[in-house]
Amino acid sequence: MATREAGKKMIMLKSPDGMEFEVEEAVAMESQTIRKMIEDDCADTAILIPNINSKILSRVIEYCNKHVPTTGATGAAASDTVAPAALAEDLKIWDAEFIKVNRATRFDLIQAASYLNIKGLLDLTSQTTIDTISDNSLEEIRSFLSTKNDYLPEEEQTIRRENQWAFQ
Amino acid sequence: MGLPALQRIISMQRERRRRQTRVRGGLISSVPKRKSPALQQDGNSEGGRRMKYLPSLPEDIWWHIHSLMPMQDAARAACVSRTFMHSWRRHTSLTFSKKTLGIDEDVCEKDGKARDLTYKVDRIWIEHPGIGVKEVRIEFYDNKTRVCFLDRWLQIAVTPGIEELIVIPSVGHKRYNFPWSLLSEGSGNSIRCLFLSRCVFCPTVGLGLRSLTQITLCYVHITGNELACLLDNSFALQQLGLSHCSKIIRLKIPSLLQRLITLEVSACKRLQTIEIEAQCLSKFWFSGERLVQLSFGEALQLKTLDMHCHGAVCEARANLPSTLPNLETLSVFSYFETVNTPMVGSKFPFLKHLTVKLAAAPAYDYCSLISFFDASPSLETFFLNGFQGSMQHPSILADPSGRRQMPKHRHDKLKNVTIAGFSSAKSLVELTCHILESSESLECLTLDTTEGYDYLRCSVNRSGKCFRMRRDAILEARRGLLAIKTYIEGIVPPKVKFTVVEPCSQCHVVEL
Repeated sequence: MATREAGKKMIMLKSPDGMEFEVEEAVAMESQTIRKMIEDDCADTAILIPNINSKILSRVIEYCNKHVPTTGATGAAASDTVAPAALAEDLKIWDAEFIKVNRATRFDLIQAASYLNIKGLLDLTSQTTIDTISDNSLEEIRSFLSTKNDYLPEEEQTIRRENQWAFQ
Repeated sequence: MGLPALQRIISMQRERRRRQTRVRGGLISSVPKRKSPALQQDGNSEGGRRMKYLPSLPEDIWWHIHSLMPMQDAARAACVSRTFMHSWRRHTSLTFSKKTLGIDEDVCEKDGKARDLTYKVDRIWIEHPGIGVKEVRIEFYDNKTRVCFLDRWLQIAVTPGIEELIVIPSVGHKRYNFPWSLLSEGSGNSIRCLFLSRCVFCPTVGLGLRSLTQITLCYVHITGNELACLLDNSFALQQLGLSHCSKIIRLKIPSLLQRLITLEVSACKRLQTIEIEAQCLSKFWFSGERLVQLSFGEALQLKTLDMHCHGAVCEARANLPSTLPNLETLSVFSYFETVNTPMVGSKFPFLKHLTVKLAAAPAYDYCSLISFFDASPSLETFFLNGFQGSMQHPSILADPSGRRQMPKHRHDKLKNVTIAGFSSAKSLVELTCHILESSESLECLTLDTTEGYDYLRCSVNRSGKCFRMRRDAILEARRGLLAIKTYIEGIVPPKVKFTVVEPCSQCHVVEL
C-alpha cells in the first residue's frame, strides 16, 4: 500500500492480466468487497481482483472515482457548496454517458459490479439491460441475452397461457 | 462477497452449463468452446457481430436483474427460459399498480378494464402462492376492486415471512375494512414495514407485531385505543406516521416504544391531545389546523421538533421550554400569527437551529422574535421566512420617526442568519438591525427579498424560467432593497459575509 498526495491513503488494485491501478482508498472502498478486505486487514499489499480484466477494472475505477463522495480542501463535503440536486443531476448525465457501451462490456461490468459489490454500478448496469429488453419480443430477448429457449413446446404453451396477461 | 463467493459464481456457471447440456441434448456440441467469461481477458467480448461470444451471466445476477423489472416485463421474461421462470416464481417483491400491470391511465369500473386488472392480479397470485413473498404493494388509487378479491389477495400475501406490506386500496365510496386478524395469527411476526391508506382498521386484541419498525397510516379509520392494539408489543418500532386519521382524539405514545425515534402527526382533525412517553423519541413533526395539547412526559431526548399550525410561533415560545430542555432544532411554521411572541422566563438551553416561517398579521411585531434569542444561549443558526404576497405591515420607508432602539442584548453564538421574504416592514428591518448590533459572533447574513425557495428560480428549475411573482411582491422587494441600502448596509461589520438576494432581473420585470 502506498501513500501520497497530502496524506490520502492509496490502495493498489491488480487485475489478473498484470495491470496495476493505484487508487485512493476512499475510491476503492466504494466496493463493499474491497471495503471488507481493508477493514479485515486483508489488504496489506496490492489487492488482486481475480476475475476482472484490466479494461473492465479501469472502467469500474472510473465509475467509483466519479461516485465517491468528494471532499474539498477544507475537508467539508462538496455537497455543502454545490446544490445536492445539481450534483445528482450531474451524476445522472455522467452515468448515462458512462453506460453507453456494447452489450459484452455491459455484461462484464454487471459481473464486476456484482463481484465487487458496488450497488450503484450494479443498479445502473442492470437497469440499462432492463430498459434495452423491455419492449422486445421473446425471440429478440433470447437473442440479446444469447440464451436459448430451453422449454419443451408444450411447456412453453402452458407458460405463455399462464402469463398471457403480460403480453396484452 | 469474497473469494468463496467468486467460487460460488464460477461453480454456478458450470452448473448452469451442465444443465443446458442436459436440456439441449446434442445441440450443445455446436456451441464453440470458450474460456469462462469470468476469466476472459482477450477482449473477445467486444464487437456485436460475435454475439455467440457474449458472456452468459450467472443465475444470481439474472435473478437480481429480473427482480428489478416491472411486473409485466418480469412475467413476460418468465417465458424466455427456465432460469427466468424459476426467478419469476421466486419474485419476492410484488407491486400491483397501474404501472406494473401495464394498465392504461384511464381505467374505470365501467369499461370492464377494472375486471381485467382484477383478473391479472389474480393470475399473478396463482403463480405466487405466498411462499417467500417478502414485499407486497397493492397501490390501487382509483382502480376499483371488489372487496372479496382484496381479501383473498391479502390472505395469500400475509404469510409468515412477509416483511413489507403496503395497501392503498380503492373499493368505491366505502373504505376497505382491512382484515386485521390476518396480522394477529403469527403472520405479522415478520412484518417490518406497514403502510395502510384509506382503510378501516379496528383490531380488538393486541396484534404483537414484534418486528415492526415503520408504520404509516393515512386516511385510516382507527381510534386511539385501536392504534394501541395495533402497536401492542411493537417494541422494535422506530417510525410512526399518522396522517388524516380523523377518529383519533387522544394519542398516547407509550413508554414501551423504547426504540421510537420519529413521530409524524399531520391533519388528524379531531385530535385533542398527544401524550408522548417514549423516551428515545428524537424527532417529532406535528401539523394541524390548531395546536393540540402536547404533553411530553419523559420524552426528554427530543432534539428536533417541527410544528405547523396557526399561532405556532407563540405556542412554541410560551409552552415548549419547560418540557423539552434538550431541543436542538426547532422549526415553527405558522399559517397565521396574530399575537406577538411573548417574553417568558423559560429557556431552550441547547437550541442551535431555529427556523421560523410565518404569515404575520399586520399588527405582528417581528421584533418580538428576540424573545427566542434571549431564551436560546446556544443558538447558532436563525432562518426566518416572512414572505407575504402583499405586505401589510407599516413600512419603515413611510415612517419618518425612523427605527426604534431595542434594549441591549448579547447573542454570543449566533453565526448564520437568513431572512427570506425580506420587505420594508418596519419591525423586520428593526429586527435585522438588532441582530447585527447584538451578535458579535455573526459570520453570515443573507437578506432575500424573494420567496426564499431556490427551486422557484430560473437558475435552478428545469423550465429555465422563474416562477411567477406577483407585481405587489416585486414592488415590495424593491422597497425591501431600498430599506437594506438605507438602514442596514451601513451597519454590517466588515467581517460579516453579507448577501442580498433580489428578484431575477430577467424574469421579474415590472414597469413602474
